[in-house]
Amino acid sequence: MLETLRALSAGFASAFALHHLGWALVGTTLGTAIGVLPGIGPALTVAVLLPVTFNLDPISAFIMFGGIYSGAMYGGSTTSILLNTPGETGSIATAIDGYMMARQGRGAAALTTAAVGSFVAGTLATIALTFFAPALARAALRFGPAEYFALTVVAFTTVSLLLGPSRVKGLFSLFLGLSVGLVGIDQLTGDARFSFGIPQLLDGIDVVILVIGLFAVGETMFQAWQFGRSEPEAVVLHDFTGMSRDEWRRSWGSWLRGAAIGFPLGVLPCGGTVIPTFVSYAIEKRLSKEPERFGHGAIEGVAGPEAANNAAAAGVLVPLLTLGLPSSATAAVMLAAFQQYGLQPGPLLFTSRPDLVWTLIASLYIGNVMLLVLNLPLVGVWARVMLMPRRLLFAGVLVLASLGAYSLNGSLLDLAILYLVGVVGCAMRIYDVPLVPAVLGLVLGPLSELQFRRAMAISEGDVSIFVTRPISAVLLLTAAMLLFGSRLITKKLA
Amino acid sequence: MLCPVHHNWLRVAGAVSLVLEIREVAVIVTSGISADSKELECTSMSCLHRVLASIVFCLSACGVAAAQQPQLDQLRLIAPAAPGGGWDQTARVMQQVLQRTGIVRTAPVENIPGAAGTIGLARFVGSEQGRDDAILVSGLIMLGGIVMHRSPVTLHEVTPIARLTGEYEAIVVPANSPFRTLADMIRALKERPEALSWGGGSAGGSDQILAGLVAGAVGVPPGRINYVAFSGGGESLSAILGGQVTLGINGLAELEPQIQAGTVRALAVSSAERLPGLDVPTLREQGVNLEFENWRSVVAPPGIGARERQRLESVIAAMVVTPEWREALARYRWIDRYLTGERFSQFVDGEETRVRTTLQRLDTGQGSGGTLASVGAYPTFVLTGLVICAIAALVVGRGASGVATALRPRIKISGTVWWIGLALVVNLAMAETVGFVTASTAMFWLTARAFDDRHPIRDVVFAVVMAVGAYLLFGRLLQLPLPAGPLEGWLHADARLCWGAQATIWLTRPPALRRASVAEITHTSELAG
Repeated sequence: MLETLRALSAGFASAFALHHLGWALVGTTLGTAIGVLPGIGPALTVAVLLPVTFNLDPISAFIMFGGIYSGAMYGGSTTSILLNTPGETGSIATAIDGYMMARQGRGAAALTTAAVGSFVAGTLATIALTFFAPALARAALRFGPAEYFALTVVAFTTVSLLLGPSRVKGLFSLFLGLSVGLVGIDQLTGDARFSFGIPQLLDGIDVVILVIGLFAVGETMFQAWQFGRSEPEAVVLHDFTGMSRDEWRRSWGSWLRGAAIGFPLGVLPCGGTVIPTFVSYAIEKRLSKEPERFGHGAIEGVAGPEAANNAAAAGVLVPLLTLGLPSSATAAVMLAAFQQYGLQPGPLLFTSRPDLVWTLIASLYIGNVMLLVLNLPLVGVWARVMLMPRRLLFAGVLVLASLGAYSLNGSLLDLAILYLVGVVGCAMRIYDVPLVPAVLGLVLGPLSELQFRRAMAISEGDVSIFVTRPISAVLLLTAAMLLFGSRLITKKLA
Repeated sequence: MLCPVHHNWLRVAGAVSLVLEIREVAVIVTSGISADSKELECTSMSCLHRVLASIVFCLSACGVAAAQQPQLDQLRLIAPAAPGGGWDQTARVMQQVLQRTGIVRTAPVENIPGAAGTIGLARFVGSEQGRDDAILVSGLIMLGGIVMHRSPVTLHEVTPIARLTGEYEAIVVPANSPFRTLADMIRALKERPEALSWGGGSAGGSDQILAGLVAGAVGVPPGRINYVAFSGGGESLSAILGGQVTLGINGLAELEPQIQAGTVRALAVSSAERLPGLDVPTLREQGVNLEFENWRSVVAPPGIGARERQRLESVIAAMVVTPEWREALARYRWIDRYLTGERFSQFVDGEETRVRTTLQRLDTGQGSGGTLASVGAYPTFVLTGLVICAIAALVVGRGASGVATALRPRIKISGTVWWIGLALVVNLAMAETVGFVTASTAMFWLTARAFDDRHPIRDVVFAVVMAVGAYLLFGRLLQLPLPAGPLEGWLHADARLCWGAQATIWLTRPPALRRASVAEITHTSELAG
């Protein structure tokens, strides 16, 4: 413990050098800009910047990469809240209630809770990373395919809370997402499924395209559809200052719970930040005294997921730094960056280059503070986006959405799919079919199928593997309780 | 970030160098190529190109590179994989080496990920036909992908340039495994092959191919190997470390830190002889008669001439002898496997046969997880569910007549929707023909027009500002792949913007290094010539 503190303070001493602070600033600013753009993730940005940073010393480069990483996680929330266009998969859950808040003129409050929540959770997660990284990484290794499958089952139960007023329509949406998830190569055997002979479809349909299509393009079309039919709702900004006292009181619990959920799930190399954010959303709704507010602008529904995604982002660094395991695309690129500097990431990195590791960790603390300082004053400015004339707002959304989708693979087909999904999304809105279950289906479906079949291959077809392994059994029990427990509770209330 | 500062300075430098270069070109033209070409270090082969390149180069107004004399102005490196993987790393290392040594002035990397590189290959063959400024990173895994996904495009359709590197593989077990040696493992494998789960990279990739080869070599039917595919090194490595699978099979570069740290035990490496600094016996030593490496190569587009091919080969030849490349090989633990020409083509043919037969014998369609885990079970479940839910959503709460009214389109599409539709179609049609800026301007204007038609002129201004701004920020500064047209070319003529950054980087290097790299370049271009 004392040793850790000593190492950390050495790290801070190094990170506080003026040029290191400068690179942290560059990184967080760049990261925020990237997070705002739908489709462009931190992985691609770090990859693009790799050659540029070759002439920097490794410490500066990693400080900048750390800044990009946390900045991107934060930046995604801004477009989610204001434009209903999640910049990253981690901010889909934020869009549900954040956008409703913005439309009710409480955009500034939503942005503030996202910024402060990101800061609180990011800092808590970094503290956990500082002190418990090795132990956590060892624990995460106990997760095998059976446990991951059970985890996806838990995540699937959250769908039951997002089905909307009509259960059947919600399930239809879920199965629509699951069906889209079928497209592409079966990862276990390499067989192509439902790719209709189109090579670009071999890799499946990117979640980002589905999300931008359903939310951003679909929303624009839906607004066009409603145009002239019903009076446009007037957006009145209540205030630009941020949260009321009551909103602070309701947010802090969500931040802490979000951090507590996000960090451990981030340490597990599985499915990025989607699972933690939705689990956090579900738990907030479950704990709320007024669950009916969720989906109509509940601040807890923004605070929890935003905290969870930043905590998960810090969690991803645990296996990378302690074991040399890249568990996300960004981590894989950062691993490549380690190698570029002739460092061997792996179990020995902490002992071979402590200066670098501790400076990186120290810069995560600094990056979090920087993000808060950079973004809080801007909250009012961003919130005014809602006052822009609608024609310009939607035109801008379409341009950015198209840019993001095209630049994923540089393929026109992606653009066509994006618009097609947009039309489907608009139709779903018209017929009151909820959108979120479809997104969860696409994210969780392929993951749970893959892990299920891996587990079955390892157990040679013996289904009991899911209940004989303790962690898996506990997770499945939790899922059952979430599903049927809630029904019992509602029955009692009714 | 750095460019705008130096923008004006570069403009001046560019103008000066333009004057100088025009003078030089004039000298060549007037006095005939033969006399002055030596002075300019122009080989007869590439002289014309040099002259052209220098014209292009003056127009680009990049003052610094005057000292560097690059062989090529631009070479696009296409990595058919996502950032972070082996092909992407190869492309990015090449980018660094080629640019830093000045062999090529700009070498942008493009990622076209998917399906073991076959998507990138198909795009490469389709859209780069006859172009001599692009090369594709390829290798063993792509051969596997071609077989697995029955790719209509194969490596026979591209122009082979060179094999570059190889990477050995290792077979490891978790530290607490009962297997001490390869012999222990083979004994168990022969007893009941399905009981051993092999964790490795994607299906049909190098790891699975090696697993099949090992099985074949010890007399176990490769079809009975219980191979569990993971996506990427991180995922399979954590399954190995956590003891989720019996054996791990993976690239040595990824496994070596773990072997050194003692978290896994290596049973064998796939090299011909023991490797220095790594106390692990080879497969051959332990009676498994095979050698294996995951090689990587570069290929050029189909339909290029012999001269263009030779030029690309000489660029690669110049690259592989630079100290920067050597250093990168050591850093990434890649083995130098430089091979070109006819021998490279023969090598690829041989490997193709080996991969094809191995994968066929593996019969990868069969899993060992029983019916529940078969390829078709889950899709059947999902599609049935979809149909049932669709029917239920229609029927619930309505009678038969209700269903009919629900199906009858309520949709009376308004003018606004048509305008939006038009905006999307226009963007789709225009993006790759006239470029991002024009297409986006049109889309922006049409969308704005859809919601409000009272400000057509003002909206044009907004549209242009938005499109150009987005292009400069994301296309130029962040270098995302955006569709380019004539207008982008014009904005691109402002290439000072990105080259300025490189020039600045070069200038910020310590003077000693700078001098050294100039010396190397002169040296390598001699070799290449």
